[in-house]
Amino acid sequence: MDTKDGWKLSRRQLLLGTGSLALASLFAPKLIMAAMAKAGVVYAPGSGKWVGTTCNGCTSFCAKQVYIQDGRALHIRGNEYSKVHGTASCPRQYLALQELYDPDRVRTPMLRGNPEKGRGIDPQFKSISWEEAIKLMADQFMALREQNETHRYVALRGRYSYLSDLLIKNFTQVMGSPNAITHSALCAEADKLGSFFTEGNWGYRQYDIKDTRYILSFGVDPLSSNRQVSYYCKEWGNTLDRAQVAIVDPRFSASAAKADEWLPVVPGQDAALGLALAHQVMVNGGWHRPFVGDFVDGKNRFIAGSEVEPDSFKEQHTLGLVEWWNLELKDRTPEWAAELCGIKAEQIRRIAVKLADAAPKVQIWRSRGAQMQHRGGYTAIALHALNGLLGSIDQEGGVLKWASVPLGKMPSSKKYVDEVGSHGLKMEKIDRRGRLEYPALKKGKSGGGVVTAAVAESILSEDPYLPEFVLGYFNNFTFSAPGGQQWEKALKKVSFVTHLTTNISEFSYYADLILPAPHFMFERWGIQKTAGNRYTQVSISQPAVKRLGMSVEDECGLPWLLAEELAKRGFENPLNYLKTEFKDPETGREPTSADEVALYATKILTQTFWDPAKYKEGDHLSGWQEFMEKGIWNSKPYAFRKRWSHMKTKSKKFEFYSETLKYALQKHAKKHHTDVDGVMQATGYLARGELAFIPHYETPYRFGDESKFPMLFVDYKSRLNREGRSANTAWYQYNLDIDPGSHKLADAAKLNPLDAQKLGISDGDTIRITSLQGSITCQAALFEGVRPGTVAKAFGQGHWAYGRTASQQFGKTPFGGNNNELLPPVYEQLSGSSAFYGQIGVRVEKV
Amino acid sequence: MRYGMVIDQQKCVGCAGCVFACKAENHTPPEINWCDKIITSSGQFPDVRFEYLSTMCNHCDDAPCVKGCPTQAMHKGEGGLTLHEQEKCIGCKACMENCPYGVISFNWQRPHQEWQENKGLAAGTFTPSVMLAEAGGEGSPLSNPERGGSYPLMRSRGTVEKCNFCDHRLKVGLNPVCVDACPSNARVVGDLDDPNSEVSMLIRKYDGKPLKPELGTGSKVFYIRRYTPENR
Repeated sequence: MDTKDGWKLSRRQLLLGTGSLALASLFAPKLIMAAMAKAGVVYAPGSGKWVGTTCNGCTSFCAKQVYIQDGRALHIRGNEYSKVHGTASCPRQYLALQELYDPDRVRTPMLRGNPEKGRGIDPQFKSISWEEAIKLMADQFMALREQNETHRYVALRGRYSYLSDLLIKNFTQVMGSPNAITHSALCAEADKLGSFFTEGNWGYRQYDIKDTRYILSFGVDPLSSNRQVSYYCKEWGNTLDRAQVAIVDPRFSASAAKADEWLPVVPGQDAALGLALAHQVMVNGGWHRPFVGDFVDGKNRFIAGSEVEPDSFKEQHTLGLVEWWNLELKDRTPEWAAELCGIKAEQIRRIAVKLADAAPKVQIWRSRGAQMQHRGGYTAIALHALNGLLGSIDQEGGVLKWASVPLGKMPSSKKYVDEVGSHGLKMEKIDRRGRLEYPALKKGKSGGGVVTAAVAESILSEDPYLPEFVLGYFNNFTFSAPGGQQWEKALKKVSFVTHLTTNISEFSYYADLILPAPHFMFERWGIQKTAGNRYTQVSISQPAVKRLGMSVEDECGLPWLLAEELAKRGFENPLNYLKTEFKDPETGREPTSADEVALYATKILTQTFWDPAKYKEGDHLSGWQEFMEKGIWNSKPYAFRKRWSHMKTKSKKFEFYSETLKYALQKHAKKHHTDVDGVMQATGYLARGELAFIPHYETPYRFGDESKFPMLFVDYKSRLNREGRSANTAWYQYNLDIDPGSHKLADAAKLNPLDAQKLGISDGDTIRITSLQGSITCQAALFEGVRPGTVAKAFGQGHWAYGRTASQQFGKTPFGGNNNELLPPVYEQLSGSSAFYGQIGVRVEKV
Repeated sequence: MRYGMVIDQQKCVGCAGCVFACKAENHTPPEINWCDKIITSSGQFPDVRFEYLSTMCNHCDDAPCVKGCPTQAMHKGEGGLTLHEQEKCIGCKACMENCPYGVISFNWQRPHQEWQENKGLAAGTFTPSVMLAEAGGEGSPLSNPERGGSYPLMRSRGTVEKCNFCDHRLKVGLNPVCVDACPSNARVVGDLDDPNSEVSMLIRKYDGKPLKPELGTGSKVFYIRRYTPENR
């Protein structure tokens, strides 16, 4: 876009380039008076209204209040009624305002005019009515029913609220497809694996930072991303008065800047550091005895290199400490780790002493980077086991789980499935979950999880089959999944792709039909939860401003519109399901519109929070009206130590030797007529025998030969990322310099000056980064906060669609480069998680 | 009464929440931040430091920008605030030259003119002007009519603009928006003339210093504590 280049001039460039012109214009007629005359009503500051809603900009899912004045959303803050974060917030909430009023938003349904699909090929979208759009979709559904192939419908979910189960799961079930495919494996499944196979929690953690004495974070940059950024931003400065903080990360993050210590680990080697810390804590006798137990005679026998007699140690609330030591830890000395992870042995020893001194008020944080690696599953388990060793689980100042809350479930759709549907539901799911090589062990169940990115592979190889109708909702897998190029090819193969979206994204570019989505924070109903500050909260999104354009309620409203049309064609089950199961819990009225289904579904799922007759725990609310006005319900405070010896593991204990993982792996192996070693081999792991059941070191897999791809790529999240959706806002582009070492108005890849010098690269140069997977072009930023030998770049830029600010030339040329075009489409296969991190070899050249 | 602000660098997490809240409140164009930042990186791998320093108009008691303004567009107002009257501004930039802190910006182009564009990306998308017409707002859908009461929402090309401490909010007893938006409560506003105000107490307790104190401008934004933890 020609205007964009002008827009993206820095202030310095403007000063240098246009000064004389501007001086000449000083005496141009003033436009102010005319503008003031047009201005209309003036409002008293503070006279607007704060409306409760929820942010979906990242996985913090903060409860918000949006400030409405003159019918528009003008400010956002944390929800004052939240016990998790209060009015505190993060910077990216504000970018939601520019998303809402994004001039490039989709306004009406659109139909592709050009059958040829591809980057740079104009789809020739034309505007159509909702009625036409729904008819086209109904044609597809009815055709699949007639062919008795309803499984060839695939619903893909990206970001979502709890209402999305209606569109993605239940409606898909009634339509007879097993393919309700969520994005979870792009998000954090390997992370959940770590806490599940140690303490039986397939979920996230909260960190009690108000009362902690030591934070050791593996890859987490809590001031920028991951869960509960608002709360950690609020408390971080106060925590620094009481606790020491060490951040493990190959790149110097915003949190590293506010930490006592930065440990620039070699990418992929977090486990070496974690295991050496565990080794040293044990050698020092620093484990937390009330949780872990002690030697029967109180004498520490954990001596490097020596095995320990299992009977000599009596455990309390844990299982298998001695096995862990004997099988793995005894040789994991700081010297062993230092060679691999690049952190000095003396530093590892010092931190081990500090951790033990602070225990149990200590927290080992872990995030995507350390775990979502091809062989990262055992890193997740190892780092979490360190929490167990230090006794921080469920302790004040330690590591807590998200408390379970009595959120309702979407009413079952099972009985609305007819014979045609039943046939389709029996077919294998399109993501290959549960195959030998994709155990996807959600909650220990073979095939219980999702392998999101495998869908592209399945489409390309038509194995298990080729879908005919794909619906993408709130997703952009062509942009957000590693090996995004694969998705572009795959979508070309599908005969009918529909995309429900706010912007014409890289996914939409391959769509046949585009449907306008409302903005999650301001224009629709939704439900989310989050935890922090010892509370878990559930908050709603609600229509706070008049919906712009022709969007409809997406997660609940689209099923209604489709159900009405399908009923006209004689297939009444979907409409019967919605009418029967989604009655207003207050009045008993059947829904009569898309908006009503959304409202009633919100009421149904949250009834235990707002209906005094159904009250279970936490905040007392007088009814729906109060809940809607506040927009939030808070749980009761966290119950410490309640799970000790009552964990949802096989042994009920915190498992260093995971009986839970053993059971899951053996069951999966049996299903495929092999043994656990066979599963290890099929999933890319090197462990054999008993090692498969304990936290152990796995040599990281390196993608790309070192001679051709000598550097390692580090992907991370900008603190202004609303996942991949904020790059079309000017406020994002103009303020990216808040990420340490980054440049504003650029897609900057950070290089250590030593490497840059060798490569002949200067700050601001255009560079090309190439991996086995692909090649991107971006700007070099020279920064000392990058480990030599690595190149660090935030996800989020490199859009070639999405809008005129995000892209260089919409539909054709990206602004910068998308990291996912460098990352190979591989997995941490035990969880199904995509592997965005580890040792991704790249070559960097000046262009 | 002399309004002043204290920014606690230890509490500040460098998130720029203040920057965005200010932009939303005061309808600044994308390239102009009244509330801005100075970012510095130093050291050598692995001993690296990064600091974020939030900046804004310091509302100096002895304001060099006011002294040099030929039309009194830049002037001292109630509570010791340094205010700007758009209508009187001739865009000579003397204030920018004189300001030692670089916190006054110039409108080289008419702000928000991108909203007049009527080209869309496809037949079914909004265009800037259609979005503006449908959403409403003066000049852009993000314009805040509460600000418009005492300062024009659409500034003219060839004029300067800067932070005025949210004078419109102070008048009705509200904090400047950057103070309310800060997630870590790093910003405190109050009366520097009152020795018992929180700002005065914080400055005494932590030996708060303004930027460039040697210039003697009487700047009224004070910084306390360190962005980087002590033992780094």
